Amino acid sequence: MGIAVPGRRVELLSMDPHFHDITVALYWRPGPASYLVHSFSGLSGADGRVAGIAAAMRALGGMEAAGAPGAVRFSCGDPHTLAARRLFVEACKIAPGAAAAPRPMQAEDKKSGRTIRAASLGGGRYRVSSDGSDTRRVLAVARGLARLAEMRAVEGAGDEVEFACGRAHDPLIGLLMVRALNLRAVMREIEMQAARGVLAAPSAQN
Amino acid sequence: MTEPIPSMTSRERVLAALARRPVDRTPACNPTSVATVELMDLVEAHFPAANREAEAMARLAATGYTELGFDSIMPVFSIIQESSALGCKMQWEQKDNWPTVRMREPIWQDADDIVIPNDLLTHPDTACVIEAIRILRREYGDEAAIIGKTMGPWSLGYHCFGVEPFLLLSLDDPGRTKLVLDRLKEATVQFGLAQIDAGADALTLPDHATGDLVSGEYYERYLKELHAEFAERLPIPLILHICGRTVDRMPFIAETGMAAFHYDSKNKPRESMDAVSGGIALVGNINNPETLFARGPEEVRAEVFANLDAGVQMVGPECAVPLQAPLENLMEIPRAVRDWTAARAPVH
Repeated sequence: MGIAVPGRRVELLSMDPHFHDITVALYWRPGPASYLVHSFSGLSGADGRVAGIAAAMRALGGMEAAGAPGAVRFSCGDPHTLAARRLFVEACKIAPGAAAAPRPMQAEDKKSGRTIRAASLGGGRYRVSSDGSDTRRVLAVARGLARLAEMRAVEGAGDEVEFACGRAHDPLIGLLMVRALNLRAVMREIEMQAARGVLAAPSAQN
Repeated sequence: MTEPIPSMTSRERVLAALARRPVDRTPACNPTSVATVELMDLVEAHFPAANREAEAMARLAATGYTELGFDSIMPVFSIIQESSALGCKMQWEQKDNWPTVRMREPIWQDADDIVIPNDLLTHPDTACVIEAIRILRREYGDEAAIIGKTMGPWSLGYHCFGVEPFLLLSLDDPGRTKLVLDRLKEATVQFGLAQIDAGADALTLPDHATGDLVSGEYYERYLKELHAEFAERLPIPLILHICGRTVDRMPFIAETGMAAFHYDSKNKPRESMDAVSGGIALVGNINNPETLFARGPEEVRAEVFANLDAGVQMVGPECAVPLQAPLENLMEIPRAVRDWTAARAPVH
């Protein structure tokens, strides 16, 4: 008796607008260390949608297949949990049949009007720069990347961040660069998502 | 030496705990919803339909017992069914959110406006609850405790008059407020009796005199006697539900004659047991927004153990669980109860 839960859930899409509003989740499975994109929906075609999201995670974030259908992992073996969660959210936005490809490690910054870039320095380290002289925005984007991907700030270099695994993850940096430009919006989105589906007492409802 | 308690069914276990009789183990009991979006997919019973169609409502509710391992089944997920039947304006929402009453568009301004409609029990949004309980009684009635729900008059007051007008009325005109409560209580009783006829083993009675807005003194003044009346007029165990910090009113609640109080994690298990002083059973109080929603099974287990160590009679979520709550956290509640019990079983 009882439902078989495939691991520890780390992220959830309550309603998939691209496939009959099914719920799709990302589960972490410690051994062998991997993630599983999973849905409990028995709708015909749900398996295909799950496989499509896993494929988009591989294409967008540089993950690799990990055996079972829907299973993915980072080649470095590290969970990179926050980055994987964000990658899942972005992969779910891609409609079935649409192409997913890694994004460049640069983005136009509306606040400064400049292009912000990240460059790999090797060993999982990246330097953020701008084509202008606005160091404030560069430092903010570096902090945003650190926050979104659980990267470490490099001591004495506010424009540099690194992955603890010591391996390069260019596709992840490309994916997160756009989000790092507006970290506050990301945090707002996360807060709103967390508040949804929580039943408040009548006295606490708006 | 005390005799070991023979093995019980889930239903026997919950009913014994509600009566504060010995149990073979503490029940994992959910007086409010444990429905989640993933369970909705599993059994093809989604909000909002599962709040309005008996078959879907019963199917989704049963997963609390069949999939999660709770000892009870609770099909009334929301707090708005009878308010809809009373004529409140509704927002039914979608799969991933709760239906709500549009309390900014109240339907009544004064006690004299109150009319309990003749179709209260045949309105689709109350009839589906009654029918869902019939279905569950038929399919699981010998195994699991079927818990219904009827809203108390304070909560109905918020829904029908609006939160602010109702609270202002309670400050300005206690007599008129009591009249409102007295008239609304008939909806509570009618809906409760209909669920008892349909086969409910117990009823949750939410009455949102919540700790943040209503004092313990208010509870005694406006609600204690009414709740005692419900305990007399609704002849099965009643589980009062009030959110928030409520230790200040627990001694009053313990004197109402209700079977159990469904209490919030803002109250510590030990202090709550002390406050009710054996006058009523407690059920709860695993935290929803932080522990069940955002943390992991280890933290859930710690809270379950804290309740069991304090002697709380039934363990479950503090309130309706967030629709996005992870299943592994919900399943950890009954699992932790069983492990705690096994660790204390006598060695022969």
